[in-house]
Amino acid sequence: MIFYIGSFALVLTGLYIAAAKKNLIKIIMGLSLVDTGVNLFLISIGYIKGGTAPIFSNAAIPGKTMVDPVPQAMVLTAIVIGLAVTALALSLVIKAYYHYGTLNVRKIKELKW
Amino acid sequence: MTLKILLLTAFGGAFVTYFLGKVSSKLRNYFAVFVSLTLFVAVACLYGKSAENFSYFKFFGNTLVLRVNSLSWFFAAAVSAFGALSVIFSLDYMKGKENLDFYYMMMLLVNAAMLGIVFAADLVSFFVFWEIMSWSTFLLISYSGKNALPAGIKYIVMSLIGSMAMFFGILSIYVNFHTLIISEIARGIVSASSGYKIFILVLFGVTFGIKSAVMPLHTWLPDAYTESPTPFSAVLSGMLTRMGVYGFLLFFYVVAGASFFFDIDAGISKFNYILCWLGAITIVIPTFIAMLQNDAKKLLAWHGIGQGGYMILGIAFGTSLGLAGGILHTLNYSICIVLLFMSVGAVEYRCGGVRDLNSLGGLIKKMPVAFAGALLGISGLIGLPLTNSFVSKWLIYKTLILKSHPFLAFAALIGTWGTILSVYKFLHNNFLGELPEKYENIRKSPVSMQIPIIILSSAILLFGILPGIPLKVINTIITSFGFNSLNVNLWGIASETGTLNTINIFTAILIAGSVIWMLFRVGKKSFPVTQDDNYAAGAYVPAGKYNYTADFYAPLFKIVKPYLMDFADKFFGWLCRVFTGFSEGVRKIYAGDVGYYVLYILFFAALLFFVQSGGKSW
Amino acid sequence: MVVSPVLLIAVPLLLAFIAPLCGKAAKYIPPAGALFNLILSVILIPTVLKSPMIVSIGGFPPPFCINLFVGPLGIFFAALISLAGFLISIYALSYIRERAVGKYHTLYLLLLTGATGVVLTGDIFNLFVFYEILCISSYALTAHNAHWHRHGTEAAVKYLIQGSVGSAFILLAIGMLYGFFGTLNMADLAKHIARAHSSVLFIPLTFFIAGFGVEAAIFPLNAWLPDAHSVSPAPISAIFSGIAIEIGVYAIMRVVFTLFGAPLSVMSVLLIVGLLTLLVGEICAFRQNNIKRMSAYSSIGQIGLIVFAFGLATKSGITAGLFQITSHALSKILLFLTIGYMIYSIRMKNYPDKYVTEIEINSLNGLGKKMPLTSLGFAIAAFSLIGFPPFIGFSSKLLIVKAALLKGGIYAVLMGIALIATVIEGAYFLKVVQGIYFRKGEVEGIKENNVFILVPFFILAALIIFAGIYPGILTKILNSSSGELLNRIGYIGRLPG
Repeated sequence: MIFYIGSFALVLTGLYIAAAKKNLIKIIMGLSLVDTGVNLFLISIGYIKGGTAPIFSNAAIPGKTMVDPVPQAMVLTAIVIGLAVTALALSLVIKAYYHYGTLNVRKIKELKW
Repeated sequence: MTLKILLLTAFGGAFVTYFLGKVSSKLRNYFAVFVSLTLFVAVACLYGKSAENFSYFKFFGNTLVLRVNSLSWFFAAAVSAFGALSVIFSLDYMKGKENLDFYYMMMLLVNAAMLGIVFAADLVSFFVFWEIMSWSTFLLISYSGKNALPAGIKYIVMSLIGSMAMFFGILSIYVNFHTLIISEIARGIVSASSGYKIFILVLFGVTFGIKSAVMPLHTWLPDAYTESPTPFSAVLSGMLTRMGVYGFLLFFYVVAGASFFFDIDAGISKFNYILCWLGAITIVIPTFIAMLQNDAKKLLAWHGIGQGGYMILGIAFGTSLGLAGGILHTLNYSICIVLLFMSVGAVEYRCGGVRDLNSLGGLIKKMPVAFAGALLGISGLIGLPLTNSFVSKWLIYKTLILKSHPFLAFAALIGTWGTILSVYKFLHNNFLGELPEKYENIRKSPVSMQIPIIILSSAILLFGILPGIPLKVINTIITSFGFNSLNVNLWGIASETGTLNTINIFTAILIAGSVIWMLFRVGKKSFPVTQDDNYAAGAYVPAGKYNYTADFYAPLFKIVKPYLMDFADKFFGWLCRVFTGFSEGVRKIYAGDVGYYVLYILFFAALLFFVQSGGKSW
Repeated sequence: MVVSPVLLIAVPLLLAFIAPLCGKAAKYIPPAGALFNLILSVILIPTVLKSPMIVSIGGFPPPFCINLFVGPLGIFFAALISLAGFLISIYALSYIRERAVGKYHTLYLLLLTGATGVVLTGDIFNLFVFYEILCISSYALTAHNAHWHRHGTEAAVKYLIQGSVGSAFILLAIGMLYGFFGTLNMADLAKHIARAHSSVLFIPLTFFIAGFGVEAAIFPLNAWLPDAHSVSPAPISAIFSGIAIEIGVYAIMRVVFTLFGAPLSVMSVLLIVGLLTLLVGEICAFRQNNIKRMSAYSSIGQIGLIVFAFGLATKSGITAGLFQITSHALSKILLFLTIGYMIYSIRMKNYPDKYVTEIEINSLNGLGKKMPLTSLGFAIAAFSLIGFPPFIGFSSKLLIVKAALLKGGIYAVLMGIALIATVIEGAYFLKVVQGIYFRKGEVEGIKENNVFILVPFFILAALIIFAGIYPGILTKILNSSSGELLNRIGYIGRLPG
């Protein structure tokens, strides 16, 4: 349960940062927090307290004590995606700073209406 | 199959004309004239035929159908005739302008679309042709650039409003009756509830009201008529606007059915009386506004609105006489107004595009044919005896009197007074009075302009003296609506309450005319005087700078002007400004700040959450 | 012989990474890939119409593996995507020739891969992955030539931030569904959801709609769209408007119809949201001075109409929505491509050194004489978007109105309101058409002579007119597609075992 609460707290914090902060880097950090929160959520779905890795190496370990492998696979993918997005975002931020000379999103408002 | 081939020729001809223009402009012109004349001949050959259901196409599994009957023949003949005449008129008028390939293609396309409208026997093809007509008209109105552009936008926006109403109505009918064929709908609609019928009629009423410029919905018309190329103004006023009348006839009498149409109670008054009153208002106000205009085409344009009122009045009354009057007036008015636009066009062509009534005058000697056309045209508009409109107006007045509606009859009469005043101004300021010096060297109008003018002038006299020719066709139309047949002969209409016989009138006028002529012969000869002799109290007037046609009717203006505001136009203008302001406001949603955008997402999710949980989240 | 639909995804993906290796020949790779996909999907259509193909990947039977579900809907979208991709890439052959050329082709193919993957997959997480491929390549494409293009960067950053929030929602929803039912296969999930009487299922549904809604550009999640679509170069705007947002709509509909069985409350929300999107989009477009931004807002409006049609949740409504997707894709691609060529020509004449992707409406004045074919293409596209016959937009509008009226009642009233948007759309598009043809402008020295650019115009215009006159060619596949969306039981039944 604590994992769920924690993951949602992370997501909400991240969303708050994305919505309220002015600095582009901070916003991207917020997005990363959201990602982390979601990943934590996914992991905690498959988590079993005291479970082992889902590898049939030892026949003595019953299937029930293994954690669910699917969320882990999902999370791996999600992390990769998150990494790609963050990397792209940061490189875009560099460009934005190059063009606008600021990271304040309240000032990067040439496209509107 | 003939109808299909006819329409294919019409549409194909339009496109071929465009491509021929790339080869040679002469070839293109001849071909355009050839196509339009062919269409006229082909339509004329269909006379008297009445056939339903030439299915020609499948669209989403619905068979699209064409048909010809007396109603569609009547309109098709007029469409193709006016189309051919205005293409001929264009030959010289448009010479030297740019984009002529496009112009001729669009002229033929509008023509083809109108033919499609009148031959369509199912609602989808009706709508398709209607829309093709709308957008090609839009392109032609905008053709001249500059001031024409707002006029075009005004037209297409109103037209789109109308077509959306119709679109909705058509599909509603389709969904309810599972058919698109007009004759089947007419059978099916009998069983519909009257509320539904009123709903449908209002939807279609808006559409056709906009097209035929019934009073509060007329605002597109003056600008559009004024700004389009004159030959197209002629088509626009002559036939395109009258497609609205065709629509009224089709939907009120064929689809909804006459018996139903007169029985609907719209709360305060009967439905058709509301239309009658709208027609009456449309007669009175625009004809007087027309008087105020100084642009020759604008003056005619306001007449276009005003005369449309007579048609609506006649049609909405729905007696055999009234209906015959309304339909006949459609034709007669079209002949007159096309003729008038062509005379204006001839003057405009020779005077270098000037249409300002304050600066023209005295062209009678220079352009006799145009003058004759204008004279007959205005006589027709007023409805002088022996011109065609006399008959149709007589029928309409008679209907009003027989049905004892003194106010409506009075409105119609006032409309005629306004017409007389304003068209006289038109004739006088163009052709009579003193010729401004700069127009001393003006030549006659070219042959390609004279031909249509002469043809239409003779048509006015012909239909004025022998009204039986069109009335015979109209008689079959009204009998097909289920009305009593009129007793039509070549000279007029014989009825129990007074016979119209143009031969008697003709003889009477002939006698009176010769008496007057003899009196003039006996009396003293008139002689021309120079302006300096009797004008300006002997003071010197610089002849070049002064033109006495300026400010015609000035004292009358002062009296009537405050009452003649175009309220509808003002209202729509206001509406546009409000909408523009509103959209300026709505745009601000996209504020450019990404923080807001993220908030939008969160709010949306929250709202969705709230709705989905059935509001039970808290 | 039946070819495997996996190739539809695999080939563009492979080509995407071959492209950078090919040096100068890289630009011929996207057309080749898209053409391959187009041919393949057209070949597959008859087979798929008989019965949907299910391809398991990895050797396990579904639901234990990732599988492709190639139904009529999927193959229809795949064909549409590859058609659009093919035409746009031909156009791009000579349009994209500055600076970041190689990267463009890779990203473009990745975008096609992502889009095709989304529509063909039968696994919700796989759908998410392809969706992310689509999104990330879109972000990068928006910032095409970021170094020279200030607005492109800004739009891309904003798009990315909103898109990431959306993606997080989707992933959350997928996680929840997995937590509830322990499966990711969509057919399996649908089966479980159909049986479950849980009162919390609306939470993942909400997240799905809010997440996919960002890419689908429904109001108010669409703030990125006018920026991204207007600042990117023409081929990219075209593929965004023609394909990318439609994929978002597809994802929403797949989730709502197939997974959740279209509950009434969601459908009515979608209906209202669609209507709002339509009105807001058109109203905003009405006051634009920038031609590309105007077209972008018009895309919002059209998407609104599509969502509205889907929101009716009847067979005719869905068919109409799919028809509208086709018509919007064709018309809007043509519109953006023609606009792009006009901008390109004006720019080449006036300021060849600057990187310009957008332009004021007034600058197009008078182009009708100098660029007749391009202007004609623009006019056809605009007329089709407004819904004038005999263009394809008319047929789709007819279907939508008919579907709404068939449902009757309040739906008919809402449809009436939606028709007002058509009037607004007519007003602003026709103003541009007037400007191009009938206004005078400084257009000396502008020419159109690039065959590679004109050929796609011709094909698109021909398709728009042909499908407008013979809409029957599309009805069969669209009917079975809408059948697939509505027939949830049938979808579940495809699950082996």
